[in-house]
Amino acid sequence: MATKPISDPQAAPVANDKPFYGPQDVAGIDYARDLANPGEFPFTRGIHPEMYRKRTWTMRQFAGFGSAEDTNERFKYLLGQGQTGLSTAFDLPTLMGRDSDDPLSLGEVGKCGVAVSSLDDMRRLFDGIALDQVSTSMTINAPAAILLAFYIAVAEEKSVGPDKLRGTLQNDILKEFHAQNEYVFPPRPSVKLVTDTIEYGTHHMPQWNTVSISGYHIREAGASAAQELAFTLADGMSYVEHALERGLDIDEFSKRLSFFFDVHNDFFEEIAKIRAARRIWAKVMRDKYGAKLERNWWMRCHAQTAGVTLTEQQPTNNVVRVAYQALAAVLAGVQSLHTNSMDETLALPTENAVKLALRTQQIIACETNVTSVADPLGGSWFIENKTNEMEAEANEIFREIDDLGGVIGAIEHGYFRRSIADSAIKQSLAFDSGEAEVVGVNKYVEKDYERIDVLKIGADVEKQQVARLQQLKRDRDAKRHQQSLEALRKAAADDANVMPFLIDAAKADATVGEMMEVMASVFGRYDGGPEW
Amino acid sequence: MTDHPIRILLAKIGLDGHDRGVKVLARSFRDAGFDVIYTGLWQTAQSTMLAAMQEDIDVVGVSLLSAAHLTVMPEVLRHRKELGIENVPVVLGGIVPEDEHHLLYEMGCAAVFNPGASVEGIVEKFKVLAADRKRLSLSEAIAGYESKNNAALGQLITYIQRDQVDGKWTPPAGSAKVFGITGAPGVGKSSLIGKLGKAMCEKGFKVAVVAVDPSSPVHGGALLGDRLRMMWGEPGDNFFIRSLSSGKEYGGLGPHCADVIRALDGYGFDYILVESVGAGQSDVAIRDVVDKTLLVLMPESGDSVQFSKAGIMEIADMFIINKCDLPGADATEGQLKSAVGTGRPICRVSTVRSEGIEAAADLLLN
Ligand code: B12
Ligand SMILES: Nc1nc2c(ncn2[C@@H]2O[C@H](COP(=O)(O)OP(=O)(O)O)[C@@H](O)[C@H]2O)c(=O)[nH]1
Ligand SMILES: [Mg+2]
Repeated sequence: MATKPISDPQAAPVANDKPFYGPQDVAGIDYARDLANPGEFPFTRGIHPEMYRKRTWTMRQFAGFGSAEDTNERFKYLLGQGQTGLSTAFDLPTLMGRDSDDPLSLGEVGKCGVAVSSLDDMRRLFDGIALDQVSTSMTINAPAAILLAFYIAVAEEKSVGPDKLRGTLQNDILKEFHAQNEYVFPPRPSVKLVTDTIEYGTHHMPQWNTVSISGYHIREAGASAAQELAFTLADGMSYVEHALERGLDIDEFSKRLSFFFDVHNDFFEEIAKIRAARRIWAKVMRDKYGAKLERNWWMRCHAQTAGVTLTEQQPTNNVVRVAYQALAAVLAGVQSLHTNSMDETLALPTENAVKLALRTQQIIACETNVTSVADPLGGSWFIENKTNEMEAEANEIFREIDDLGGVIGAIEHGYFRRSIADSAIKQSLAFDSGEAEVVGVNKYVEKDYERIDVLKIGADVEKQQVARLQQLKRDRDAKRHQQSLEALRKAAADDANVMPFLIDAAKADATVGEMMEVMASVFGRYDGGPEW
Repeated sequence: MTDHPIRILLAKIGLDGHDRGVKVLARSFRDAGFDVIYTGLWQTAQSTMLAAMQEDIDVVGVSLLSAAHLTVMPEVLRHRKELGIENVPVVLGGIVPEDEHHLLYEMGCAAVFNPGASVEGIVEKFKVLAADRKRLSLSEAIAGYESKNNAALGQLITYIQRDQVDGKWTPPAGSAKVFGITGAPGVGKSSLIGKLGKAMCEKGFKVAVVAVDPSSPVHGGALLGDRLRMMWGEPGDNFFIRSLSSGKEYGGLGPHCADVIRALDGYGFDYILVESVGAGQSDVAIRDVVDKTLLVLMPESGDSVQFSKAGIMEIADMFIINKCDLPGADATEGQLKSAVGTGRPICRVSTVRSEGIEAAADLLLN
């Protein structure tokens, strides 16, 4: 039996061990019903007929470290190197909704991303960048609505209205409970907050993706490909249902929901996963939720190569892994892509490492000619069989989730965390036994492999950021600040949409930590549900 | 000593939420026969080392992927010193640049592991460190206990639990009130004990907790998960938690649980809360070691027929319905009232919302 790649914890179904596939493996497939041409329902083959012939994917490298100025400089560097969209990584305090001067932030300010505690930080982050010209994505979840409020307020200062803003707020709180652990409030009020941003975006930000429904984190935390697929789409359906409950029109809000998948090592499985995602989503949107506009049946997605597959040992090998994963993403027809840097296991990427990762995408786009035809693998017996199999496995998992009372019920039962941890353990056992081979780590090991440069963030970033924040807290108009927070508290307690109140508070120089605290006083804080 | 499980603590400190690695390790250590306490996300250096002291941990493992190790580890080692447990080795794992390893060894870390480290190798290293650990001798532990040294108390409990005191010592009599807290897995016993303990400490009482978790029947190791739910802030000396694995033959309670309770009593705690696994017939055993038994239930946990079937219903002295933030609390309370009649108090709480805690604590205090 063939060795299973590490990306496949669920011990692949027997069918996958077949030496080859043939017509009998796609016997039940009806071309018009199950595949159709690219750009046609159910979009298995892609959402556009011409795919990358018309426009290549957006190359979007996740970036953020140190102070707002440091990251601003990196943004400008990446735009200068031909990157076409910005993607902001925040530091752990910001991700957890804490100010840089919070005692719990000690030692973590600016370390894993950029520190943004106030409107002023956001202003410096986007200094000199025309917000009506770029598309910006922000990887932020529990405090997402607050960071969006900062962004809107900064744009307003540059005379750019919210309707002109293009970009994506990750804002996917459900997967925080499953995988990324950046939740603050309990599940229900957390989803209410997401629904607030969907509602606000639908009315005021027609070009803004309000939620990036993410499988990436679920997969990186240990899930199998099928679990990633199913958990992510189930989360998507949950957001749709909450928005419908809010009284929003399916055809108005759903066009701004986007997705985010991981691209792991098992080349064909990953392509099948994304193809299956498009087919499932199209059917669900049209047939279950009754969306009428064709574009609302599209599963548009960003993809990122799998950080967890990269190794500390022989780090230049990572360039090769990333290239294969990126190629899989492109063959699957994604809308935007982040390629990981070779120093992934060492620290945040150096400028050189991130440039090489960007070049990896550019080489695929410019030199391989894979962009000349949509869904080149469509019709492959293996790929179509695998796509069916992914869909069937996902449907099985949807049933399990339904049985637990839907996504929130399943969170409360610990279903997601347990399933993911189970899969992670299987992968770890496979690695330790040598069944899963990783070049340079348990196969072809070299003791003295060549080391590469590592980015270091100095401690002065934290000192400077804390000093500046405390200055801001002293200098601001205390009365206006207090009133804005009081209005926010009242809105939260009255179950009103908090977005306008967050924007007001942002302009009154209320900080991330302060706004989170006010909302926590109404929503409560979540202690974490079952661990396993 | 070798036939007793090695006790290790795995900790995530700070805001870092990367828990894949630490969870994989926790399970692997359990399967290798260790007793594993994982303290969960977002801990402080102080709460981690305090736990190591109370639990008499053989090796502490800290997992940091947040690049905060040069801030966090000095703090961990400072608290280790302040608590007088420098005999506990501390191991670091995660994203640690190679050129910083020497700094960590110099400050006192016993080992550093990076991505790609094999779990087998890690387990072996922990075994060696645990074997080399210099514990207090029995007489040192007893002397420390008598002079009210918490680190000594932690280590003496281990001697008691392992039946190594040999009748050489009996604890002085105390005046603690001992409560058994029982109920089905997942109803929120540990969370409730955390909140009750806090409320009682804030009133100036000294509270000890004995939490019994099931051992894994296959490997003899255990994941002791109660502590994770009980911890709060920086509790200091007045809140002492000890996790025990139930062992194979002892049903709901761990070996020598009663002796451990006696030692805590003699040490001067005002209240001792004993959490026991499950709510089956075997838990009736809890009544022999406690003054009062408190049964924790949650909404929709069963109809009245099921209530009356469980033997535990008869022996419970009071009832707490937890998770009253969830739907169905009224119905459950109604059914419970008709099943148990009057005379035994029923109290409603929600530990996540911190509602009803005061009233529940008052039930115990009066
Ligand atoms: C998986 C992953 C994630 C997942 C985490 C899922 C989860 N619940 O764990 C997701 C996608 C959610 C994620 C998010 C983020 N991540 Co991340 N993530 C990784 C990644 C790719 C792999 C980590 C992993 O789980 N590996 C698999 C496990 C099994 O291995 P391990 O944890 O390394 O453990 C092994 C050893 O290190 C060691 N070990 C680890 N701990 C311990 C403890 C002890 C006691 C011992 C003995 C041994 C030991 O033994 C284990 C077995 O070999 C790493 C990069 C990498 N390849 O290492 C980045 C990485 C850790 N992430 C990083 C960052 C920045 C983030 C974010 C802050 C990004 C952002 N700004 O939004 C967020 C923060 C999330 C949070 N809440 O903290 C950075 C950290 C940078 C730094 N330290 O300088 C890294 C290094 C990537 C990078 N180069 O940028 N991430
Ligand atoms: N909704 C809700 N969940 C709770 C409450 N108390 C505890 N939980 C959750 O119930 C789960 C089990 O709690 P735990 O204290 O470990 O239960 P134990 O097994 O009885 O000790 C955890 O996920 C808790 O977060 C509560 O009051 N309301
Ligand atoms: Mg418990």
